[in-house]
Amino acid sequence: MASIRVENIEKTFGKFKALSGVSLEVRDQEFVVLLGPSGCGKTTLLRIIAGLEQADKGRVWIGDRDVTELPPRARKIAMVFQNYAVFPHLTVFENIAFGLRMQKASPEKLKANVERAAALMHIENLLERYPAQLSGGQRQRVAVARALAVEPEVLLMDEPLSNLDALLRLEMRAELKRLLAESRTTTLYVTHDQVEAMSLADRIAVMNAGRVVQYDQPMKVYQEPANTFVGGFIGSPPMNFLRLPVEGRQAKIESLTLDLPTPVSGPEVLLGVRPEDLEAHTVQQPQTFPAEVLVVEPLGPHLLLTLSFGKQHIKATVPPNFEVRAGQTLWLRPQPDRLRWLDPSSGQALMMR
Amino acid sequence: MRSERYIPYLLILPSVVFLLFLFAWPLLEALLLSVRDSGGQWTLENFRRMAADLYFPDALKYTLLLTLVIVPLQVVMALGMALLLGGISRGRDLFLYVWTIPLGISDLAAGIVWLSIFTERGYLNSFLQGIGLIQQPQLWLSYETPWMIFVAVVAAEVWRATAIVFVILVAGLQLIPKEYSEAAEVFGATPWQRFWKVTLPLLMPSLQVALILRTILALEVFAVVVALGGRNLPVLAGEAYYWYNAYQNPGVAAAYAVIILGISVVATLLYLRLMRSKQEGAA
Repeated sequence: MASIRVENIEKTFGKFKALSGVSLEVRDQEFVVLLGPSGCGKTTLLRIIAGLEQADKGRVWIGDRDVTELPPRARKIAMVFQNYAVFPHLTVFENIAFGLRMQKASPEKLKANVERAAALMHIENLLERYPAQLSGGQRQRVAVARALAVEPEVLLMDEPLSNLDALLRLEMRAELKRLLAESRTTTLYVTHDQVEAMSLADRIAVMNAGRVVQYDQPMKVYQEPANTFVGGFIGSPPMNFLRLPVEGRQAKIESLTLDLPTPVSGPEVLLGVRPEDLEAHTVQQPQTFPAEVLVVEPLGPHLLLTLSFGKQHIKATVPPNFEVRAGQTLWLRPQPDRLRWLDPSSGQALMMR
Repeated sequence: MRSERYIPYLLILPSVVFLLFLFAWPLLEALLLSVRDSGGQWTLENFRRMAADLYFPDALKYTLLLTLVIVPLQVVMALGMALLLGGISRGRDLFLYVWTIPLGISDLAAGIVWLSIFTERGYLNSFLQGIGLIQQPQLWLSYETPWMIFVAVVAAEVWRATAIVFVILVAGLQLIPKEYSEAAEVFGATPWQRFWKVTLPLLMPSLQVALILRTILALEVFAVVVALGGRNLPVLAGEAYYWYNAYQNPGVAAAYAVIILGISVVATLLYLRLMRSKQEGAA
């Protein structure tokens, strides 16, 4: 077990700046997810920590060892690759045993570790098979078992579930969470799937354009995004951002006035509000503002509404039995303790609560 | 829909006719030629005459020896070159093209190139005289020194035909996803272990193709040998040529051809059997 620490990592591929000064610490036994859109540098960061890529600048520590100059094999890590990279010419047993064989582990330890890892991943009965005879989900299990068998100080996972079909992904996600909570291995996990990140992480590091833009617990990242990018990237549908006029210490939405937590210098302010934090009413109520329904999408657990408010569009979710049709005017009440105020020009949150 | 079903057959028909006409039929003819006399009676006389011939044991010996020396040498060299090529990023194409230049040279021309080096007034003697190692030209490629002809043939063949093995192995290496090597690296394998435990096993299908191709071609070695040693280094394909041309005896020539065919088939089956990948074996 060990912590991971990276400091001021920079990496350029040709003219493309993949990482511009990333610092991050993963505490001992913590499960951290690197989340971001493709091209944001999350996989590059993971590969630099693994030693498969060299940073142009910056240092990497695992525990109290500076591993910046060490080759991957000397870093005491294990990794699960996106396409599994399960060796096709070796049996499942030999695949799981690969790291232990390289360490020249004793035959007793090798057998015990392989069997324990296989049992954890429920693949004890596949040990004699070759990868070609396995399904994608089973290969994925072999890849994870291979990583667990070496009892690594840190475990790195690069989009391990992205090649599985939706149902299997859901199943493996829960299983991984249980497994890694039990083994308490320090884990850094890369994904572009915000639901996966929310469900698994102790902390999420949201990355965009080569930087970490927010690093916090999942619910914090969800409810208090650091900027419009995070609010828009996490959550489906994304957070609404409404551009509102400012009068003194208040912002106005039609008849509704909302108190600002901090003085605003410009004439406008951005209000971030999640679709589920807008309470819909068919008649006017106190603390509401009117919006016209454009589209109603029944999604099962709730209805997703697209409404127009002036020239701006807004999404809101309402219970499935809510009687509504397009063209109707609804009165929306934003949950006062769930509002996020942002600067309209920079997109940054005005203050962290 | 129904009328479309015969289209694939129609499309492969020309190539099938071509192969039957120019390969299968001559092959059958050669087989028949070797086991029949001029009157059309079945006989093993051709094989008897071949086996009793003065040149036959040497031809068989040198053909097999050349194959045993040339093929492993070429595979090891080509593998080394292919791995080296994988390690460079800048100027990779330049190396690739330079290394594959010999592919464009005919085997007779290659033989003549090496003849100009080893012949009495050739480059090798000029060089050795120039630096004062020998006083007068040395006769390298004479019937008294068949081992020297052998070395010259090996050198010419390795120079000429390593490129084809190289090209096959480069293509094979490119088919191996880099994640396998990376996974091995992360799980503690040294570069040497990565080569033996991961790269080499995954390269097996390409190695198999290269070995089969090169072995069959090595068993047919002819033009380079003729250019460098004439009949002083007898080989099976050369003997077939002499029996057909000089002795006007197609029957014995066909017997030689059948022997080459037999050895090639046995070698191919051995490769297929010994190098069968475990995945196939288990499936």
